[in-house]
Amino acid sequence: MLSTVNTRAPLRWLGKQLFNRDDPGAFFDPLLAALNPMWVRGFVPARLVEVTDEARDTRSFHLRPSPRWRGFNAGQHINVIVEADGVRHHRTFTIASTPRQWASDGTVTLTIKRLAGGRITNWMHDNLCGGEVMGVSQAFGDFNLPETDRPLLYIAGGSGITPVLSHLATLADRDVRAPVTLLYYVRSQADIIGAGVLYALAARWPALTLKIFKTEEEGEPALMNEAHLDSVTGLDARQIYLCGPKGLMTLAADVLNRAGVAESQIQTTFFSAPFAVAADTPLGGAVTFGKTDKTVESEGDAPLLEIAEAAELKPAYGCRMGICHQCSCRKNSGTVVNRLTGKASGPGEETIQLCISVPQGPVTVDL
Amino acid sequence: MKQLNEQQLNELAEDLDAIHDEVMADVGERDAKYIRRMIRLHRTLEVGGRAMMPFGFIPPVFAAAVGSLSIAKIIENMEIGHNVMHGQYDWMNDPSLHSQTYEWDTVCTGDSWRRTHNYEHHTFTNVIGKDRDYGYALLRLSDDNKWNPLHLFQFANYALLSVFFQWGVGLHELEFERVRRREIKLSEKAGLLKDFFRKGGRQAFKDYLFFPLLTFPVFPIVLAGNVSANLIRNLWSSSVIFCGHFTEDAETFTEASIENETRGHWYLRQLTGSSNFTGSKWVHILSGHLSHQIEHHVFPDIPAHRYREIAPRVEAICHKYGIKYNTGSFGRQYWTVLKRIGQFSLPDRVRTRLSAPAAA
Ligand code: FES
Repeated sequence: MLSTVNTRAPLRWLGKQLFNRDDPGAFFDPLLAALNPMWVRGFVPARLVEVTDEARDTRSFHLRPSPRWRGFNAGQHINVIVEADGVRHHRTFTIASTPRQWASDGTVTLTIKRLAGGRITNWMHDNLCGGEVMGVSQAFGDFNLPETDRPLLYIAGGSGITPVLSHLATLADRDVRAPVTLLYYVRSQADIIGAGVLYALAARWPALTLKIFKTEEEGEPALMNEAHLDSVTGLDARQIYLCGPKGLMTLAADVLNRAGVAESQIQTTFFSAPFAVAADTPLGGAVTFGKTDKTVESEGDAPLLEIAEAAELKPAYGCRMGICHQCSCRKNSGTVVNRLTGKASGPGEETIQLCISVPQGPVTVDL
Repeated sequence: MKQLNEQQLNELAEDLDAIHDEVMADVGERDAKYIRRMIRLHRTLEVGGRAMMPFGFIPPVFAAAVGSLSIAKIIENMEIGHNVMHGQYDWMNDPSLHSQTYEWDTVCTGDSWRRTHNYEHHTFTNVIGKDRDYGYALLRLSDDNKWNPLHLFQFANYALLSVFFQWGVGLHELEFERVRRREIKLSEKAGLLKDFFRKGGRQAFKDYLFFPLLTFPVFPIVLAGNVSANLIRNLWSSSVIFCGHFTEDAETFTEASIENETRGHWYLRQLTGSSNFTGSKWVHILSGHLSHQIEHHVFPDIPAHRYREIAPRVEAICHKYGIKYNTGSFGRQYWTVLKRIGQFSLPDRVRTRLSAPAAA
């Protein structure tokens, strides 16, 4: 019954009158959560059914979202909402499993690697073992499979493999005949994510050519180079997907360019899971105002409130000294340093006070 | 006001900042659990109160229903709403506890409150002419305001304000006294009035129309119960708030005194302009910890249930600098508020003559 509260206009209106909020369904969440956390209305809950080891520092988290979740296409991401030490964190992860798996048993798999210095990936590895309930957003992202079958080339690095796993398994299920090649770059054997899935796919699906390069093992060719493309037949006709850390993406784009591949053939997903900036990153950075789609550069310890005003925006403010919270606003991504405490924030979406928050690296705020 | 030199003020700021940083570094799970528990309690009491109300024709049930609903409203306004809107729980990153979007169960809109209370009152605390919370522009509470004969009736004003407190707070930003003096035009306040009618209408609709009509045959009982719950909440919250700044020794300041104010001076003003009252754990919770008005004013964004823990340290700092730490039982503090309202209703000549022997 509660699900209709948010969708039917008259009920919604009534809910607003009675509970003073735009999402009246969530008014009872504190009670519902105590009875069964899968009943909450404030976000789409998902139960963590199992956690499995995948590779060095990498685990798969198998989630079963509530029926309100609308599904996804291979290659899409979701935001996961977890609560660590009383604080709600949002992090974006790519779904590594297939839409077919979700259709058959209602689960999706997130394959997550510990990030050095990453508060939430490490927290998830250390604290979640199955049975917990977290929140998920609807799926988003446009790293989509081609509409029609055609030869494909994937170049993936490290944990950038996750959307590729979902793509490949989906293509294999459809028994696509056009050739598909994956060039996968990892540090060493122990770092191969989804090894089981990949080898099984290669064994049962003749269209797939699988090449794994270990960049830090002896006797192996090092970084990506032209020679790696030699085995890829009909390069010109292939649609190419790049997914991995920034270094590899730039390098691959370069190599492809020299091999005469047209820009339009390439699709990239910036797999840069947000990670905390290093403590010695200088203050200042590019500030993007999400609502107005403006970006300005800032330097030194100018707080976001002043940066926004200099960009001719008019955010609400009061005391301008960190007391009144009038200037509180959503930060979508990036790290800010609190001027009063000197503490750096996390990289994800959260509420900050504009008047005492100084960007440290690129930041996006909801203004 | 207690005078401190530049260096003492800086040290005072350092001492207080140290407490603030230490507590904020420790804020986490425990505080999240605390506020969630309060919210659960509020939901339970509200649901329970509303469910019992139609059976209020049985007198003990009526008492239980009114008690339950009024405590629900008090907890929501004082311990949840007021504190959430101060940003005490912004760090939790929970959109339903976000200071800038929270909307509470009272007539005053969250937006209006954030402007008049969080900003004006907390920044310009007890500065006559700038802090309109000081006497709510209705009462004369210091000789900074000139006496006029109307002030003789301010006790009646005070009683009315307490009874209709949520409506008074809702209209606070209208600055009616300035409109009357023609300093501002009513048309400037059109937006505010619109919001006031929308939110006030919503509150009245809920308590005085929807729930009574829903239980039609017994609607007089439900209506009476809801009116009582709102009244109890009004009386309690106005009394708590009056004890925060209008007690006997709470000081007032002039606009000139806050020009180029330093952080240390701001702290000093908060310490001397506020007053606490003592009581059991539940007295603190039901007052939204405004029983620790002093701690609240120096650290408005520390989760309020922590005030109880840091109070001894704040008091020690006050002693160190010879600042009076104004506290006493609720009864005693409230008595001094009433005395103050009474005294300042009289012309200054009469007032000083009356209070002279007491001071001697
Ligand atoms: S303007 Fe008051 S806290 Fe930022």
